[in-house]
Parts: sequence; structure tokens; C-alpha cells
Amino acid sequence: MELKEKIEKHLLEVQKPSRYIGGEVGSIIKDKSKVDVRFAFCFPDTYDIGMSHLGMKILYSLTNERENYWCERCYAPGEDFEAIMRENDIPLYALESLDPIKEFDFIGFTMQYELSYANVLNMLDLAGLPVFADERGDELMNIVVAGGPCVCNPEPLADFFDIFILGEGEEVNLELMDLYWEMKQKGCTKLEFLRAAAQIEGIYVPRFYSFEYNEDGTIKKMNVTDGAPEVVRKRIIKDLDSVYYPENFVVPFTEIVHDRVSVEVLRGCIRGCRFCQAGFIYRPFREKHTDTICKSTKCLCENTGYDEVSLASLSTSDHSEIDPMLTELIDYTAKERINLSLPSLRVDNFSESLLEKIKKVRKSGLTFAAEGGTQRLRDVINKNVNEEEIMNTCRISFAGGYTSVKLYFMMGLPTETDEDIVGIADLADRIIDLFYSIENRPKGRGVQISISVATFVPKPFTPFQFEPQDTKEMIEHKQKLLMDSVKSRKVKVSYHDPNVSRLEVILAKGDRRLCKAIYTAWKKGCKFDSWDEYFNFDKWMEAFDECGIDTSFYANRRFDYDEILPWDHLDYLVTKEFLIRENKTAHKAVTTPNCRLRCSGCGVNKKVGRECFC
Amino acid sequence: MLRVRAVFEKTGRAKYISHLDLNRCMLRTFRRSGLPIWYTEGFNPHPYYAFALALSLGFESKCEILDFNITDDNMSMNEIRDRLNAVMPEGMGILSVEEQKLKITAIAKAEYSFSMVTDEPEELMKDVEKLLSGESILIEKKTKKGIKTVDIKPDMEIIGCEKTDRSVDMIMRLPAGTQTNYNPTLFVEALKKSGAHPFEDEKFVRRAILCGDNTVFR
Ligand code: SF4
Repeated sequence: MELKEKIEKHLLEVQKPSRYIGGEVGSIIKDKSKVDVRFAFCFPDTYDIGMSHLGMKILYSLTNERENYWCERCYAPGEDFEAIMRENDIPLYALESLDPIKEFDFIGFTMQYELSYANVLNMLDLAGLPVFADERGDELMNIVVAGGPCVCNPEPLADFFDIFILGEGEEVNLELMDLYWEMKQKGCTKLEFLRAAAQIEGIYVPRFYSFEYNEDGTIKKMNVTDGAPEVVRKRIIKDLDSVYYPENFVVPFTEIVHDRVSVEVLRGCIRGCRFCQAGFIYRPFREKHTDTICKSTKCLCENTGYDEVSLASLSTSDHSEIDPMLTELIDYTAKERINLSLPSLRVDNFSESLLEKIKKVRKSGLTFAAEGGTQRLRDVINKNVNEEEIMNTCRISFAGGYTSVKLYFMMGLPTETDEDIVGIADLADRIIDLFYSIENRPKGRGVQISISVATFVPKPFTPFQFEPQDTKEMIEHKQKLLMDSVKSRKVKVSYHDPNVSRLEVILAKGDRRLCKAIYTAWKKGCKFDSWDEYFNFDKWMEAFDECGIDTSFYANRRFDYDEILPWDHLDYLVTKEFLIRENKTAHKAVTTPNCRLRCSGCGVNKKVGRECFC
Repeated sequence: MLRVRAVFEKTGRAKYISHLDLNRCMLRTFRRSGLPIWYTEGFNPHPYYAFALALSLGFESKCEILDFNITDDNMSMNEIRDRLNAVMPEGMGILSVEEQKLKITAIAKAEYSFSMVTDEPEELMKDVEKLLSGESILIEKKTKKGIKTVDIKPDMEIIGCEKTDRSVDMIMRLPAGTQTNYNPTLFVEALKKSGAHPFEDEKFVRRAILCGDNTVFR
């Protein structure tokens, strides 16, 4: 029986079957006899989530521009379909050709969050491939690669992958495929290919690197073989304005998480919030021109038929042409009856007329990432938002008819004391007072403040990479304290599961010794760990135990400034000296100005060879 | 304003698009086509379009009906058809576009074909005949008020019933429209319940949407 027939035989037994059969508008079908290199782009989570991911859309279209390369999509099946696949020998397949991904030259994963690691193993296994790279043979075939933010510390995944692609993929992915095709024609082996690939900037081949450890468990030394570079530097696109951007997206039939056109406006971030990994690993700040952004918006809306568009960036308000850009976009979308979903914007520097326009299109309530409860703590984390700004925005919004505010905080931040926790409740109280002090506030309804608290996860390549995470006891104490401090019934507090954050920090800051624990956890049935209903902390802890891994070594230990970190051989342009300097500044509760105000010498400009702002 | 009725097919992979998803899919198709489709008036204007009959997930069809209005009176029906076909998803071609003639309430029945695959077509054929020659075919139908037992036999018209070397293939007409809607799977369930030889049902196709006098609804 053909694979397609096998799939169709069972498709009506599963939820949302259109996720598993392809055929969406905008998906790209090629004649495989005319294709030289096939790339299965896998997202290690379900279709609904993976299809929402912008990076995948960009690289999918970009690769398929090349006539002789074919990039297809692949997602993790839901539990119901996975059971059917395993029972009926349906291997993991790609959605365009419905061919097993085992037949593909490249199998690429995008690693967006730590809690998807176990899904990678599950997908490789479903594909019928050994999960360990060294068991997949020496034929030049099935090169398993990964990119995305998590590969800035890929060590916990090192045993499963052949290649990690550091930084932005638009150029390097094609270079890698070109090299592959050249060497494939010559009949080279996988090892020969990997040796050559390791010479490309941005390509990290983990098998050429090994580690020795000190008695205390820290890294003693890294060894490099096969002529691979001592340090691998991430790739960036220098001119964002001329970089490829898709003119079409695959339009799903079933509803996905971000079911809309998404237009990239800038990369990088000028803010330098010290907890934010994205703010450092995506440097330098680069923006697209208003013209480019508007053209993309129009073109994508016309080609996909979406009636909603959002702007993708870390901080859209920091675009230097934000006012004309939003004005033009709002005018276009209003005329075409398209919803423009705007992110939370800093309203401080907007013109009156733009504010009026924004008010008309904005539907969602007001959200604020305050992160810390007191100004001192916000200074520590360099979250450059002060209470006056929060109050100002709330005042404008209340006067404009809003009655609810959502505030995001983190708990367990470096230097945090009980006072900072009580500060969260105090801030909420002051917002309530503000509401009732406003003359023209919405009448008849009370104000509602939701406080959402996550546990802080220190991440590689941030100034807080050295910091320990709070222990369970510390977090429980702080949670109780916050609950006791909140007096008003107008304030609702919700917490993220701190166990999730603990697993995140272990995987984020882990080294190569974690590979076997991830394998063990997967064997125990861990998968879809980012889903509440699947997350099984106990199984993960059992796995770490069985592998003799002390999780507090990664989660609750302060890493020394001069310790060799598992990711020290990867160069994300920001220097370690800068991160140390920022860490020290943080402990003094001193802020660092944003990059546009003053360069603080993170090292990016020197390596890129030009100033970020002139 | 042109009041338009399009007949489209839903075949191949498109049969896995649920009715809810089809709605969203059509909205995007209209937008891609750039056709001047009429929007409802009022506080929250949205493009107006309506499907005559919902189609079960997994069924193919050669005769789905979609009504909508075009604000440009001078547009030709061929142009509407071609512009939609240029942007329809795989498996969903527009077969014809005409002005709406009959009211939706004129729909009375629909014709379906399907296969019942078995290792003993002979046996299964006998079972089918036995069920059809009985006095009634009772099925349990979920209604708003709970589960109800109904006899579908009086409303069922058998158009074809053929034995192949691997299956029994049937064509039947069943009530459809705003009043009563019977799905051919009801018959299949009844057959299974009657203790018929084991089989797997597949390849459900809606072949026609008909008026009370058996003419094609237009
Ligand atoms: S080099 Fe200066 S301006 Fe550029 S990202 Fe680093 S700190 Fe900011």
C-alpha cells in the first residue's frame, strides 16, 4: 500500500485531520525527479504551533526559490495520530510529497524552546531513524541539523544532531545545501561532508568537539578535532532591507495559533533587558524601511487572503520610522478591511493623530511587562520602564474606556528581596487608586488587574547567564508572600508552574552530559513538555537521577565568571567581558542606556565591522 | 448586485477540510480573488456567503453549492468562475457559476455513493438485500431533544447496489435540506448492527443535490 493510502485509511479517526495531509494553499509541490536536494523542515511540536512560526515560513519559501531544492514541512503528530502511525507502520512524513522524511537529504529542526527537546527524539524515532547521530551511518544522507535560539547552547542536544546552524539562516542554509550537493555528486561520505561543512561560518559540528571535566563537575577543557574551528561564530544578515522575504505563506485550513500574516519589521533589540536572551543573541539591531514593510504587508495579504496582519519584532516601537509606518499600515488595512494587531507599544513618542488611529484599531486589553515589582529591581534587570510610564499608559487607556490591565512579572530575579515581591502588590494597588481617581473613567464597571508571575530562568548569552535560579523553597515562600500581600479582590494572581522553569534552566544551561538524560526522559515517555497536560516533572527528575545528574549543579549554582561555560566556544557576537560587566552593573542596580542613546560596547559592532547606529 | 450560485467540487485531500474550516477557507479565497463581494451592513460588516448544505468530514462531493453576491453588475459569470478557480485550494474547483434561481428551501434530497469493502462481497450483498427487504430500517438519531429512533426506510431511495470483486457499492438518495437530513452513514450503521458480514465503508461521495421532483437544484 502506498503511504498516502495508509495515511488516508486512518485520517478520519484523528482530531483535525487536515493537519496531516497537506494540500494547503501556498504549499509548494515539485517534481521530485527534478530535485537535487530535499530538506524536511521539522518543527518539534504540533502543526497548530509550528505552522505559526515565522522563521520557518521564511526559510521554507527561500529554499524553494531554488528550483533544484525542495523544502517540505513536517510537524509532530498529536498523540492520537502518533498511536495510529506506530501501529500501522506509518513513518513520519513530509506534508508536501507525503514521502517519509527518512528519504530526505536534510532533516532540519528549529529549536525555539527547551521544552521541545524530547519531541525531537520522538520525531526522529517516528521517522525510523536512530536518535543518536553516531548510529545513523556514514552514507551522505539524512543530515540532521538544528537552528533557532536554543542552539546558542546546543550541548544538551549534541549527541542527536550532525550540525547546528548558528544565527540567521537565510544565507548559510543555502551554502550548506550547495556544499552537500557538490559533495554528494562526488560520492563523498558523511564525515567528509561534515568536515567541509565545519569550515563554513555559522556551522557547528558537535562531534568534532569534546570536553574534559574538573572534579567539581565544571568544564576543564574543550578539545577540537578534524580541523574544525576553536570558536564558531553565528551568522547575521547585514542588510535586512534587501534580504529575502516571502511573498506568500502556506495558509492552513485548520486554525493555528498565529493565524495571520506576519511582517517582520526589525531584528535585534536596542533595550538590553538583562534577562532577555533574544535581546542579546539577535544583535545587532537592524530595521527594514517603511516601504519594504508596507510592500510585504500588501503582497502577503493579497496572496494569502488573510484578513489579519501583525508586525513581528522584539520591540516594534523602537523602529525609527514608527510613526509614518503605522500611519501607512493603519490606512491600508482599514481600507482593505484587514485587522492590524498591534503589539504593546511604548506610547511616549507618538503623535496625537497616530494615537487616535491606534485607538480605533486596538481591540485587545492592555498588557504590561513590568517584570519587577520595584524600581530598584527593574533597574537591576535593566527593564527601562518606570512607574510614571506605567501609570501614564494606564491613565490614557482608562480614559479611553479600558477597565482591565494585565501585568507580567518574574519571580526569582537576581538580588530580589521580599520587598520587591510586596512591591508587585503595591503597584497593583496604585493602579486601582489611579482608576478611581480618573474623572472620565468607564462608568458602571470596576477595574480588573491580572498579575501573571513566571519564575525567572537565567539563559546563556545574557548578563544573567551566571546567575542561579531560585530553589523551589524560595519560590514557594515568595508566592505565599505575594498572595498575602494582595488585599484587593480586583487583583487576580496567576503563576506559571515553577517546575517547568526548573526544567527549562537545566536544559538551557546544561552541557553535553545531559544528552543521555534527555534520551532517558524520552524513553520514559516524556514529550510535549510545554503542554500542561503532558508535562511530567517527576519522570524528568527520575531520568536525571538515573543518569547521575545533579540538577542543582545547573539550576541553583552560580557559574563563576572565569569558569569555562558549555557555550563559550560559540560566538554570538556579544563578548563575555561585556556580559560580565553587565552582570556586575546589575548587582549595583545601575541601568545601561539603550543602544540608540549610547553604545555600551558589547562587541557586536567590532565583529560586524560597522557601528550599529551612526 | 449579482446574486450568484457557484457549484464546486470537494475532492482528494480537500475532503479533510471540516465545515467550520471551509468557511474560513472560502473567506480567504474570496479575498485572494479580489472579487467585489457584497458585505453585510451594520456594526460589524462581513462578507456574505452561504453554503447550501454542510458536507460531512471525509466526504467528497461533485455538487457543493455556495451562494454569494457580487456588487459589480457588469461582471460576467465566467469571470467570477475563473477568478475563483485561480485561487481555490487543491481539490476544490468551481464547476459552474450561475445566477441563483431556486430558493435554498427547494432542496429536498441528496444523492450519495459509497463502497463497502469486504472479503465476501457475495455474503455482504445478501445482507444488504435482507436489510432492504425488511419492513423498516431503524436508526438512532441524535436530535436536540436527545436520542430518537427513526425509520429511514420510507425516505430512502436506492439508485444502485452493485457487487464488485472486493466490495458492495451503493448509490442512494436521502432527505436533505432545511428540514430533515439523513447521512448515508446511518444506513451503514444499521447494516453493521443487523449483523452483516464485516466490511469497511469508504469513498463517500455526494453526487447531486436535488429538488423534490428529482431535478437538480440550481
Ligand atoms: S555594539 Fe553598541 S550599539 Fe551595537 S549592539 Fe552592542 S552595545 Fe548596542
